[in-house]
Amino acid sequence: MSAPLIIAIIVILVFILLYNSLVAKKNQVENVFATIDTQLKKRYDLIPNLVSSVSQYMKHEKSILEDITKLRAKASNPNISQKEKIALDSQVSSALGSIMVAVENYPELKANENIMQLQYTLTEVEEQISAARRAYNQAVTDYNNALEQIPTNILANMMGYSKKDVFVITKEERKNIDVGKLFNS
Amino acid sequence: MKTISELTDFYYKNLHPILQDLDNERKKVKSRVIYSVFIFTLFTLLIAFVLSSYHVSFDIFVFLVFGYIAGIGMIYKFLSIGYRSHFKEKIMKPLISELDDTLTYSPHQHIPSHYFTNSKIFTSRIDRINGDDLVCGSIDGVHLEFSDLEVEKKIDNIKNNKEEYITIFKGLFIVSEFNKNFFGQTVILPDTAQSSFGNFVGNFLQSHNIARDELVKMDNVEFEKEFVVYSNNQIEARYILTPSLMEKILHLKKRTKHPIYLSFINKNIHIAISYKKNLFEPSIFESLLKHKVAMEYIETLHIATSIVEELKLNQKLWSKR
Repeated sequence: MSAPLIIAIIVILVFILLYNSLVAKKNQVENVFATIDTQLKKRYDLIPNLVSSVSQYMKHEKSILEDITKLRAKASNPNISQKEKIALDSQVSSALGSIMVAVENYPELKANENIMQLQYTLTEVEEQISAARRAYNQAVTDYNNALEQIPTNILANMMGYSKKDVFVITKEERKNIDVGKLFNS
Repeated sequence: MKTISELTDFYYKNLHPILQDLDNERKKVKSRVIYSVFIFTLFTLLIAFVLSSYHVSFDIFVFLVFGYIAGIGMIYKFLSIGYRSHFKEKIMKPLISELDDTLTYSPHQHIPSHYFTNSKIFTSRIDRINGDDLVCGSIDGVHLEFSDLEVEKKIDNIKNNKEEYITIFKGLFIVSEFNKNFFGQTVILPDTAQSSFGNFVGNFLQSHNIARDELVKMDNVEFEKEFVVYSNNQIEARYILTPSLMEKILHLKKRTKHPIYLSFINKNIHIAISYKKNLFEPSIFESLLKHKVAMEYIETLHIATSIVEELKLNQKLWSKR
């Protein structure tokens, strides 16, 4: 075989490898986002139970409970974009946080079996969401790196791939017990 | 669970008379060993002298040297066996009970080999497994067991046509219940590739390791430098390895000062600390009253049992009860 032919074959092989690795990275990002979606759904599904369990006792916090029910309704709309999902996620996180802190003020609620069970499940789901967010950020970083590094950046340009945003973990993340608020109320 | 200073107090105060007795026994054993080795050396030299006057082949001398070394080993083992078992019965056992009264001590047993194999920390075949000093119990309601383990693999040495064993792992092996539900397997190994080959090549080698699951890049820079994480579920690996757990594992590594391997499989956490020696064995040449010697036993015991508190395995915030 002649030298130019061999070179051509090598170039094509390399091209294929780079193309495949870019596609794999893009798909990994979407894959992890889908898992985040599933975890978010799990959390949204816990909300009706939570609201009904606390609403008879927590008369003063009616507005927060209404807020969270509205947020849940928004989230169950199948047509919302990824950006909206991410925005809703942080709003729900902070609303849930406020409710769980408020629960601390009601001793009957704190001792309630159902509420305790809900608290454990919520903590678990929140941590799963947190883990999924971290995995998403890693996948996005790998993807964005490939988009900017040589030689994959040339290919990415040709394929029309664009950078994705990482999940920004906001300060309103729910903490298990906000001790300050507990002692101030 | 007691602290190290409480244990040290217990060791020097409550166990003091026993330590004295044992030290006297040790001195007797030491002089017996020295005397026997001296006689044995003379005997071996005599044989060598006799053989040399008969013009025998060099191989016989080599055999003699190996025999001499083996003989010394056997003399030591045989003469010190009483002292060693007294140490385990009269010092180790009370120390462990003092540490926490739910702990039981079996000096001649070890962690069952299926725990070791199932931990998937080491991927090679296991041909021989030995160990001792099994401790079992529960700290703060969390089940814990640990022991010394020496695990070997057989390799066929074609040259000498003999069977040789190489050590896969020698050190402390700990198994405990983990406080979160998980369904996959996550393995954490010391990061040798990154430190030997640098970031780029190291990363490449690690992500293409066919013996392991997918590489998981963690978001704690120091953790990434020290360890490499493999898992069959990217998200579960991060669910288990929260930022706070990663910090705690780093802290544990600094405390033990030896290579540390972890895995999360089958509802359990497995920790293997490679000390490369048999722990909790008293030497006849060093007194048990010496601070350095005592602290080594107390520290190691404390490290193993404090896993529950250090890694917060007793924290039950999630749905696993």
